[in-house]
Amino acid sequence: MADTLTIHIDGQALTAQPGESVLQVAKRNHIAIPTLCHDERLDAAGCCRACLVEIDGQRRLQPSCNWPVSQDLRVSTRSPRIERHRATLLGLYVADHRLDQDGLPVHTTQGNELRTWAETTDFKRLLAIDSPRHPRGVDANPYVAYDPDLCILCARCTRYCDEIEAVSAIQLAWRGAETSIATAGGRGLLDTTCELCGGCVDVCPTGAMHAKQAPRFEKPGAVQKVRSTCNFCGVGCQLDLNVQDGKIIQVTAPPPGETVNDGNLCVKGRFAYGFVHHEDRLRQPQIRGADGELHDATWDEALHYAAKGLLGVRDRHGPNALGFVSSSRCTNEENYLVQKLARAVFQTNNVHQCAAT
Amino acid sequence: MTNSVPEIRDCDLMFVIGSNTTEAHPVIAMEMKRALHRGARLFVADPRAIWLTQMAEQHLQHRPGTDVWLINALAHVIVAEGLYDKAYVEQYTENFEEFSALVADYSPERSEAITGVPAEQIRQLARAYATTKKAAIFYTLGITEHTHGTDNVFALANLVAITGHLGVRSAGLNPLRGQNNVQGAGDVGAHPDNLPGVQKVADAGARARFEAEWGAAIPTERGLNLNEIMHGIEDGSIRGLFVMGEDIVVSEPNAARLERGLNELEFVVVQEIFPSETARFAHVVLPAACFAEKDGTFTNTDRRVQRVRRAVPPPGQARPDWEILADLARACGYPMPAYATPADIWAEMARQSPKLAGISHERLDRDGGLLWPCPSPEHGGTPTLHVGAPMRGKVLLHAVAYRPPVEPTSAEYPLVLSTGRVLYHYNAGNQTRRDRGPNMKFSSNFVEMSRRDAKDLGVADGELVRVVSRRGQVEVPVLVSPRVRHGLVWMPMHNFATATRTNLLTIDKGDPITGTAEYKVCAVRVERLGA
Ligand code: SF4
Ligand code: SF4
Ligand code: FES
Repeated sequence: MADTLTIHIDGQALTAQPGESVLQVAKRNHIAIPTLCHDERLDAAGCCRACLVEIDGQRRLQPSCNWPVSQDLRVSTRSPRIERHRATLLGLYVADHRLDQDGLPVHTTQGNELRTWAETTDFKRLLAIDSPRHPRGVDANPYVAYDPDLCILCARCTRYCDEIEAVSAIQLAWRGAETSIATAGGRGLLDTTCELCGGCVDVCPTGAMHAKQAPRFEKPGAVQKVRSTCNFCGVGCQLDLNVQDGKIIQVTAPPPGETVNDGNLCVKGRFAYGFVHHEDRLRQPQIRGADGELHDATWDEALHYAAKGLLGVRDRHGPNALGFVSSSRCTNEENYLVQKLARAVFQTNNVHQCAAT
Repeated sequence: MTNSVPEIRDCDLMFVIGSNTTEAHPVIAMEMKRALHRGARLFVADPRAIWLTQMAEQHLQHRPGTDVWLINALAHVIVAEGLYDKAYVEQYTENFEEFSALVADYSPERSEAITGVPAEQIRQLARAYATTKKAAIFYTLGITEHTHGTDNVFALANLVAITGHLGVRSAGLNPLRGQNNVQGAGDVGAHPDNLPGVQKVADAGARARFEAEWGAAIPTERGLNLNEIMHGIEDGSIRGLFVMGEDIVVSEPNAARLERGLNELEFVVVQEIFPSETARFAHVVLPAACFAEKDGTFTNTDRRVQRVRRAVPPPGQARPDWEILADLARACGYPMPAYATPADIWAEMARQSPKLAGISHERLDRDGGLLWPCPSPEHGGTPTLHVGAPMRGKVLLHAVAYRPPVEPTSAEYPLVLSTGRVLYHYNAGNQTRRDRGPNMKFSSNFVEMSRRDAKDLGVADGELVRVVSRRGQVEVPVLVSPRVRHGLVWMPMHNFATATRTNLLTIDKGDPITGTAEYKVCAVRVERLGA
């Protein structure tokens, strides 16, 4: 391990590892620096200019997200010059954003970082700008949508698509005020290399990239988040089930750095939750009648019928004439109970799960 | 996995064999891509040119079922060129003599003749792997779904052990487990040889502990594994069946034979969330809650126990599986304790399971996931196994000789069929088939075929063909694809329609130890319709 370094932020001596950025050291020490284009998982882009700080020996303000630490580096994160820069920059962003009746960037369900910043920082009111940013054409994909009016061109989505999902389905396109996020040839995502991972939605700081099916402009707290584990593959991604009125309206990833999936999900975990509330779900116990059809029954009837049937087989043919197929889709506690049922109740070790790996 | 998921991004070399990671474990693939972005080297061995092979430095495109030949040849090079970790072998392995004598016969040139992988490629990978410290091996069902699946795993374990890649961060041997709780279900005893807590049925001490806990005797003879239960259904020795959350007539091989057996059973209980294909054979159907409607834990592929939490109520009268199971046991006259929540069930199991004893729902709620072994409430869990020394003291090197797949191709069935998964669907498909996106991507079964085989047969991309094996036949469209070589066809195992289920074709011979069936190799022919 290379030696640690000492840097000074706002006069405070702090230890840092070679290769870290000023922003990383500041964050670790709870020194607040605003950011918009930064995401721990991505290479620093230094493009939003929100995180600019003063660095001794540098004439201009410099992006802390992209400034590597060096021994005895001296940084200030607060100064009248930085305040002025932030007030103007934030003013520019706000002037080119969709605002609510209070003149602040609108709330979005996934959280609007621009609004959060504007709520806590004085900024210059500038005349509204209406950039002619290119909208997305017709896109039949059922999950991901783009709203150019909320886009701040931080390129988190395109960098995520490139660096993490590594399919480069979306990119910055056009120039100047027309700059937008686009696919090659303006195709719908289904006709690109896109794998519908939804990472672009997840990293978007404002909600410009958003989930098609979910309500878009809910205030924080209107949607309850329940942390759980994905029920598809064995990666065990942690996810937040976003619940409103007893229904899952969206699945989001917990913030990066906290869980095994580091803020990432795939198309199944993030979007394929439609089965939960599907009309085909079984709702009522059923018993097969003499007519060969399944008929609704009460729980009491069904459980006793099931018990009688299984006990009957055991009594006629012995315990090892029974097989118990447990489920690698169900919980540990449930699998424990299935094997307990087989072993303690029916006296057989004939119990297995779909154990292919 | 011997190592944990977050270690992947720091790997310097990744050898992925028999794992279509970007489709089957997409978020682990993202970690691999991050390692690549950092400059890590990637080698992929797979009979198909999956996407990962395009990101790889080398694609070792071996013939299906020849894995032992490929892996032993890698070991051959490492031993012959003296690249193995002599100190580690000396101190921490046994049986090196027999092992090295065996691999001496597996030269890269002979391997090339059988696997189709150029000898030079084998040498390059062997050298790179042996000389890189943070070098990890990843595998999935491409390794295990064979009648020699256990041999494949032993052969890989040999590579890891002789190069001392065990107990090292960002290295190790890493099976990527397929389903959300396939690891956990086995850990807690849904296994014919294992009691809860990764303890053997044959272990009298463990048996005595659970007998005391349950107030019931536990049979001492080993039970039947899934493959054997299926065979028991077919030969009539199994007469009654309880199935929870598994659509066996979709996911098990040789589905038509299984269905005939199921029809003859005296009693079948199916506990499910959807009217599955298997529910057609049920005498009783018990409607269950899905993961979002109940509490509990899943254990993921890196042995991480994590919480599952109820977010919404189950539909209609459906109930969480744990409640149903407890009530079913009671209906059978067994005094199941009154569990208030699944936390009580976990506690009952963990107090008799030393490896899991330190984990409780309360701790998981406070700290997030914990990786077992975790023997005490103070223990922080174990991300990397075998640090310092192998857990059992020494690693036994298995001298595994190649055995061919059980069903060779013939004049009548000239093509090898391999099965697998696509990104957008999940297993039987009961869940993903009911969402729009997966269906927009894939709404019917298909058979992937090389351009050359399609041309020989005279079929065009998208044309409907009949795939025939000794066990069944299905009609599906052809996907002409550069991913497969001449002689190999590939189909997904998801259920798109009852009549086109891929597992009507597959062979139900299983690995002698695990019972896992040879889904990756059976012989078929493809016929033009109306020809
Ligand atoms: S969904 Fe994923 S793959 Fe598709 S554009 Fe967004 S980041 Fe890229
Ligand atoms: S989100 Fe995708 S990668 Fe993660 S556990 Fe679910 S299925 Fe697996
Ligand atoms: S966060 Fe540093 S420039 Fe955007």
